[in-house]
Parts: sequence; C-alpha cells; structure tokens
Amino acid sequence: METEQPWPDWVRERDDPRIAHTKPEALDDITVLDLSYKSFAGCYCSSLLAEFGAEVLRIEPPQGDFIRTCTPYGMLYKGEGLNYLTEGRNKFHISLDLKKPEGREILKGLVGQADVLIETYRPGVMDDWGIGYEQLGEINPRLIFASITGYGQFGSMSRSRIPDYDNITQARSAIQYTTGEVIPEGKSYDECPWAVPTKAGPWIGWVQPGTFMAVGILAALYWRGMTGEGQALDVATVEAYASFDDYAALWYQGSGVIAERFGSLTTGAWLYCFAPTKDGAVFLGGIRLEMWQAFADMIGKWDEWGAASWTTQVTFTEKEQQLKWAPLIFAETRKYTNKELVSMSVEYAKKGRLAPITPVVAPVCSPEETMKDANWLERGIFTPVKDPVYGELVVAQAQHKMTETPIRTKWVCRPVGYDNEHVYLRYMGFGPSKLKKLKGAGII
Amino acid sequence: MAEETWKNYKEKKHFKPSPLKGIRVLEVCTLVLGPAGPGYLAKMGAEVIKCEIPPMGDTSREMLPFGYFFRGQAPGFVPINLNKYWLGLDLHRTEAQEVFRELAVRSDIIEDNLRPGVMDSWNVGYRQIKEIKPDIIYISKTGFGHWGQYAEENRPSNDGAAQAFSGYAWMSSFPGQPPLKNRLFVCDSYGALMGEVPVLAALHYRERTGKGQFIELSQSENIMRAMSWVWPYQQITGKVAMPAGNRDVSICPADTFLCADDTFVAIAAPAPEEFRGLCTAMGRPELADAPRFKDHLTRLQEENATEILKIIADWARTKTSEEVEELAEKHDFAASHVYTVKDVVEDKHFRERDFMTEVDDPLLGQYLEYEFPVMLSKTPPKVKWSVRPVGFDNEYIMVHLLGKSEDEIKHLYDCGALGKWADVEGRRPPPGWDGKAGLILARDREGKE
Repeated sequence: METEQPWPDWVRERDDPRIAHTKPEALDDITVLDLSYKSFAGCYCSSLLAEFGAEVLRIEPPQGDFIRTCTPYGMLYKGEGLNYLTEGRNKFHISLDLKKPEGREILKGLVGQADVLIETYRPGVMDDWGIGYEQLGEINPRLIFASITGYGQFGSMSRSRIPDYDNITQARSAIQYTTGEVIPEGKSYDECPWAVPTKAGPWIGWVQPGTFMAVGILAALYWRGMTGEGQALDVATVEAYASFDDYAALWYQGSGVIAERFGSLTTGAWLYCFAPTKDGAVFLGGIRLEMWQAFADMIGKWDEWGAASWTTQVTFTEKEQQLKWAPLIFAETRKYTNKELVSMSVEYAKKGRLAPITPVVAPVCSPEETMKDANWLERGIFTPVKDPVYGELVVAQAQHKMTETPIRTKWVCRPVGYDNEHVYLRYMGFGPSKLKKLKGAGII
Repeated sequence: MAEETWKNYKEKKHFKPSPLKGIRVLEVCTLVLGPAGPGYLAKMGAEVIKCEIPPMGDTSREMLPFGYFFRGQAPGFVPINLNKYWLGLDLHRTEAQEVFRELAVRSDIIEDNLRPGVMDSWNVGYRQIKEIKPDIIYISKTGFGHWGQYAEENRPSNDGAAQAFSGYAWMSSFPGQPPLKNRLFVCDSYGALMGEVPVLAALHYRERTGKGQFIELSQSENIMRAMSWVWPYQQITGKVAMPAGNRDVSICPADTFLCADDTFVAIAAPAPEEFRGLCTAMGRPELADAPRFKDHLTRLQEENATEILKIIADWARTKTSEEVEELAEKHDFAASHVYTVKDVVEDKHFRERDFMTEVDDPLLGQYLEYEFPVMLSKTPPKVKWSVRPVGFDNEYIMVHLLGKSEDEIKHLYDCGALGKWADVEGRRPPPGWDGKAGLILARDREGKE
C-alpha cells in the first residue's frame, strides 16, 4: 500500500484542479438539449452536467433567453448579463424558434440524437407544441425528459399561470418566514424594515432545484443503463427548496408550534450563532457539550460559568437559556477582533484544557474577503477562465475535487446562436446555404 | 404536462421500481452535511447502511428546536435519515474495522464527513479500501477539503462557518445591518446535495470503465459555486458585492412587500408581459410604457429600480397578500404570500403530488415527510420508513449481508465492535415501543410471540 506518502499530499497529487484537464470526463458520452427559458434553474442544471463533459446544446429563441437580461443593476459585460455569464460554461449555444413548426421539426431531429432534454416552460406548453414528453418519447424512447417549473407537472396548482422566480420560491418554501431578525419589542415593521422574513441573497431558489434535477437526471441515466428506458422527470422549484427544511415540519406536526424567526441564533442548536466582535462578527459553533465547554474555557469563563459541571447540551437549546446566554457571550466576543478569536480557537486545539477539542470560530466575510482568501485561491475556486469571447473571467468552479474524472470549466459563455454553424452541420447536416435560409425565415 | 404520464403517479408510486435499485452505500456520517447525501440516495432506492459509533451515535440526534423531541427523536435528525439501515459499529476497534471492510467489498459507494485522516487512522480510508475494492466510489465531505491551509490546521467546521466564510450570509442580509445567518443549514444540505452530483457521475463512469475514485467536497466551496454574479462582478468592478435585503438586484421588480394585513407578499414581474400585468393590476398601466421602466435592463438601474419598488410597496400596503395573489393569477405576474411551515404541511397541492407524503412507520407511527423533490415517472423515489435507534439493524446486517453466525455476532458484541443505543432520549426507541416493531431479524430471541 502507498501509505508512506502523507494523505493530503497523496490526494492533492491526484485531485488538484490544476491537473483536471489531463484526466478523462465522466459524462462525455451524453448529449443534453437545454431548452430552458426564463429560468436560471435550467441553466444551472445543464452546467452541472457540462462541467463533467456532457455535450450540452443550449437552445434559445433567436432573440435570446430573457434570463440574459437578469443582471445586477442592469450591468452588462461585453454585452452579457453577469449571471448568465457564469452559467453558459462549456455549452454550445444555438438558436431555434420553437414557436414555428419548422423549428419544432428541427428539434425532433436533435431529440433523436440526444440523451437528456431539459425544459422549463409552463406545464402543457411543450405538449401543445407537439414536442412534449409523450410525443418525443415516441421518437426516442431512451430520452430523459426533465421539466423544472414552479409548481410541477400535475396537481391543481400545475395549471397556475404564475411564472417561476427565485424570490417566489423562497417565499413559498416557509424558509424565508423563519429567517430574519426578530422585531424589537414595541416596534413596528415600518420602523424596522430589516426585522422581517428575509430571503437569501443568492438565487438558491433556482440553483438548488437545478441541482436536484441534475441528481435526478443522473439517477435516471443509471436506470436507463440497466433497462434501456428513458422517462419523464418533474421538479417543482418550491418543493425542492421547501424540502431543505430541517425540523420545522415535525415540530409543527408534533406540537402545533409554527417556527418563527430567531435572528442569528438557532432554534435547533446551541452553541450555534453569529456573535459581534470588535471589527465585525464571527460564527461560533459548539453543538457538542465538549465544544461548548471548550468555548467557555477559551474566553476564560471556565470557572465563573461552572462549565465543568455541565452535563448535557439539550437544556441549552431551550429558548430562555439561549436568550440568557447569548448576551453573556456577546459581551466577551466584543473584546476581540475576528482574527484574534479565530487564532484563539486554532491555539486552543493545541494547548487548551480540552484540546484537541476546540469550538468552531469563523469570520463572517464579505465576498470580497472570500475572493482574496489564500486558502480558496490555492484550492482553485477562483482561478480565472481564459475565454475566447469574454477574456479572463472569475467564475466559481472546482466546487468538488475528484481523482479520476474531475470537473473543469473550458469556457464561460457564448453569445446567442454562436455555435449554429458547427452544431447544425454536425447534427443536422445543414450547410451555410441552408442555414442562411433558416435564418432568413427567422427559424434560427 | 404529459397527462397520461403523470396520471395516478401518487397512487402507483409504490408499485414501481426505484432508480438506484441494487446500489449499496456505506455511510460514516454525522450532523447534516454527511447524512443528507446518502439520505437522498436512500429515497431513490439505494440500500444505505448508516454506521454510528455506539451507544450515542450521530450528534444530530440532539438537534432539537428549543429542546423539543418528536416522538422521542430529534426533529433535525429525522428528515435526512429516512429509509436507512442502522449499524452500531465502533470503528475504533480492529474487529469493527474488519466488519467495515467486509461490508465495503459488497458496496458501491462510501460516504464520510469526518475530519481528514480519521478514516485512515481507522484503516478504512480510501487508500486502504481501494486495495480490497478497487472500483469503490468514496466521497469525503468536510469543512475545508483534504488539503490547503485550513485543512492542514485541522479546523473544525459547521454550516454556520460555511455561511460566514463564503460570503453567503453577508449577501443575505439587509444593508447597514449586521450579517444575518440563514435559518437553514443551507451549506450542509446544499453541500450534501452537490456531493451526489459527482457521486452519481462517478457511478456513470464506473459503469463505462469499471473504475472507482475518491471525491472531496468542502462545505464552503460548494455554496460559493451557487453565488453566480458575485464573483465576476467583484473582478470586473473592483468593488465588493453588497447585500440588498429582500430585493433581488438582478430582477426588477422582485422584492418582498408588507401588506395591509401586516402579512408579507413576494412579487416578481420582470418580463414585459409580467411587468405590464403588474402595472395594470396596480391601476397604473402607463408605467409599463414609461421610458425608465419599459426595458428590463433600464428598469434594473439603481435609480429606476428604487422608484418602481417604492411605487409597488405603497400599493401593496393597501392590499392584503391574498388580494395580491389573486391579481397575480389574473394578470400573469408572480406573487406569493410568505408561507409558514403550517401552510406547507397542509398545502393541498403538495398533498396531491405526494410531495408531503404520509409515512406509516412501525416505530414513529403516522406523520408527513418531505418526499424527494424529483418525481421520476417510471421509477419514483419514495419515503418508506423513518429513523431507528443506534444499532437497530445490527442482526439483519450481520446475518443477511455477512452471513455471520450467532457466535460470531456475540463475539462482536462482547469485544465492543458492535453496540446498540444508549438509554437516553433521541438514542433509544420511542416511548411505548414493544421491543419488536420495526426489527427485521431477531424479533423473537427470547422465544416470545
């Protein structure tokens, strides 16, 4: 066994993102058609497959996907919206008007050669166009037909005309309701507009359902490998995100309690909160009794707080206890900077009374601090991609690392229809004169 | 919509196979980041064996909202640990390590979320397992991955640390307010989900080539991947990305508004027909054609966005959230009141789809769980049973899978390799357990009916 080499060196030698391009790709035998429209969930889902080498044909209407205009403060970079810029990665971009019968015939030709189709139109739209699952399944029984919508393909709300957006999903999941600052006693929402149900900033209500669908597609591919059968997949974005709830549903069913906001404390755990410091805030974690004791010891309160006599963590999670202990802790953390508290925890792991047990202490970073952190830079998360169209660009990548078939980002994005010539020639045998005609007719 | 395809999906669900039939997963996981991943696979039909150190097991058996136990179990422990088999195996002991290696040879996937090096010190690390099972797919999910400065310092981590380190919490706060921690263990749950993408991609690759591999995932890195525009924005502008509360700075209008009845409603209406619908609903159709609002990119600019959001906020304050929802249906824009967990659990549509699905568990009884949120028409995922005490399925696994004799099993108990639950709440069976319900083998060890 090769146990002489220290484990971290052994792993890094094999999974450092810097050598990813020298390795094979797990999904390079798979062709994906991504028809998603007005949905970041679809784009993100196909990105996760494209990172593994799947050939993703991103199919947009000739005027482009509306999602390209969803960009912070309306900002464009080289003509492109910043969100779309991060999820065009490794995909071939073609244009095709599915509202025209000729466009749908071309799609059928592509479907005959594809493994997976991703779409995000309102339920029924693809069927009305004659390119729904049941119709395309006739052409290609091996097809995995993946639909991502706000409410799913069946059930009474599936007929709703309400479009699917991240903030709607976050609101409807019951997760926004329980996140946010508690309103101070005697104050109104108008006085404290920040003490309200608060959504997450990033598009978690889109990327998370897109990730669920990628997992579903891979499971369906495994099943297809066993049986040769394709099938239809249905993700409702709101269900995907609601399913991340950790304890509220059982708490409600068992006791009738509806979970409420609890600021940056945690109803389900102690010690588990953000705490103010001299220059910002840190996260403190010590959900095992020994870690909570180690925290008390680390800030010099072992004797005063009687930490040696604590026998269970359970009572500390009670609301009154949390509200009693939180201010005591904050008074201590305010005496230090983020950096000081982090190094106290690293040092405690070496020399503390309970070492190697130590509390979790993490600085609450702005994304700018995150992007400059040498640790993440070394791990290849923010390595710029050299893109022939958009130049050198930072998009987050290498979110997991693998010894045999690591993901990689080959290019970041493409303008609408950028790959028409290559893709239509390769898949459909359309040469320049045919393409010119199709373009003239507004089909591509 | 494909009506024929989805007809009677709920009723026929349990009559159909599961997509990951025949896949066996060994889990040495604790808290959320670890167990949730195999939890997803278990709902899709993989056979997941959860190894816990007896007698206390998984730390999340203590994840209690304000100290509340649901039928003797911690509510935070339950949803991510459904459909699993429960093995109490003390991996500190050589005999237990040998049992683990016997199981590993019969498995496809191993998942751990212990600190780097711990599995190796127990002789069950990737390098040791691949000697006896070369095509094993082995994923380790940790705070900081297996190399780099923070990993070398052997720092512990939690979901909250990942929310802090990644900038996720910073971006999810109100401007001018202290950073806010999200109520979810979002980096844990999302990291666990993201982890199954490489695991299943590796399975596809194994089917093609017969090769296994090692995968590592960091709690913080996976959530950075989900933060889209933030990184190129900072690179291009040289400025730090700023939080914006409930306002979506990439979609306009998209925000949460306070209503007349002191409830909250989320509204989104960026596309031309949606924005026109909203303006019409507000009785201000002319706004849809105003030059500063007409085009989405122009409307997103700070000054214009602030103005239109103020107009909507003033209007929403005069309506109930229900009225806004009705207008949204009628005028094709998006709106939803902010749901409570009661709204979700009792939602008619979720029940019709069996997303909120009824469990009839031999130990925990009847209640509702979240179904795996990808419906597969021919191979539906399904919740079957709930959580079990530490070591509950020891006999089943030892006899059925490893063919061990009663004497061998007794020896494994005697030397402490196998063990069962501690007699404390959250570890032991729920109150009123009859000593038999849910057990697969060894129900009648004392010869009783």
